[in-house]
Amino acid sequence: MTAVNDVQSGGPDDGKVRVEGAWARQAPMMKGDSMAGSGNGAVYLTIVNTGGAPDALLSASSDVAATVEVHESYQESGMMMMRPVPKLGVPAGGKLEMKPGGYHLMLLNLKRQLKAGQVVNLTLVFEKAGRLAVKAKVK
Amino acid sequence: MRCKLLAFLLVMGLTLPAAAGENPGFKGGAFDPPRPAPDFTLKGSNGSELRLSRYRGKVVALGFGYTFCPDVCPTTLADLAQVRKRLGAAANQLQVVYVTVDPERDSPERLRAYLGAFDKTFVGATGTAEELARVRKAYGISAVKKTFEGTSAAYLVHHSSFIYLIDPMGNLRIMLPFGRSVDDAVHDVKMLLKR
Repeated sequence: MTAVNDVQSGGPDDGKVRVEGAWARQAPMMKGDSMAGSGNGAVYLTIVNTGGAPDALLSASSDVAATVEVHESYQESGMMMMRPVPKLGVPAGGKLEMKPGGYHLMLLNLKRQLKAGQVVNLTLVFEKAGRLAVKAKVK
Repeated sequence: MRCKLLAFLLVMGLTLPAAAGENPGFKGGAFDPPRPAPDFTLKGSNGSELRLSRYRGKVVALGFGYTFCPDVCPTTLADLAQVRKRLGAAANQLQVVYVTVDPERDSPERLRAYLGAFDKTFVGATGTAEELARVRKAYGISAVKKTFEGTSAAYLVHHSSFIYLIDPMGNLRIMLPFGRSVDDAVHDVKMLLKR
């Protein structure tokens, strides 16, 4: 059911990651005004580190949003909170799963509406593995 | 004779049928005893006044969030949209009301566009900071504005993320924390519609 991307990085020898199951939540794009942007979205995926050394996701970008950031949702004091994650580690031979209520790629200031069935293009930048192109299916 | 029967039943760990009020097996946290859901009047995303008690006769799923929320709120709303789908013919008996915790940015129009993407029947509510704070207090909901270094988001709002289920008589019945399954929510809504 999930879109398997199996995209491997062609980076330097010491980094080897792939991304699986990338999907984006459908989101409207609303009219922005002075204070507000047009709206935010979220992408979830699993990073698999097949290399022998830990790697880390440093940044991401996408053609559908002005900015992409890594965030983590968590619960504290009875409230759901969120914080930016500047560097998201993926252990050697391990994986990092992003899912609702946890880690996600936040799409800030959407440039268009995200409708179920569409594809969102992203570029992930890893510390060791370098740049990785990912396609996320909107649902 | 009857006393002996009673004693026998008690010894066997069985109870005679109890009066209504025994735990009916809700999946979410049940308010026991039920109490009236605090009524409120706010500005509805449909352009008119939103008075909670106007939805009596239906089950209301009441939630709190904001349109700039990328993860938690869309997940909650997508789940509620799924709940409606799974109710089939009974879907019209469930009304989702979503109150903003970010009135500075969430105008009625913005709420309508945002909620409509999940389900056209969802209604949003906004108002002045004071009005909204009163409603949050009545429902035990916390909300805190948070600015950060390291993000280009203007600000985030940390907020309680559970859903209240209010029965057709206007009583607070169930609390579903964030992350409870669609199955659980459908189960509890159906139970509330039965009575």
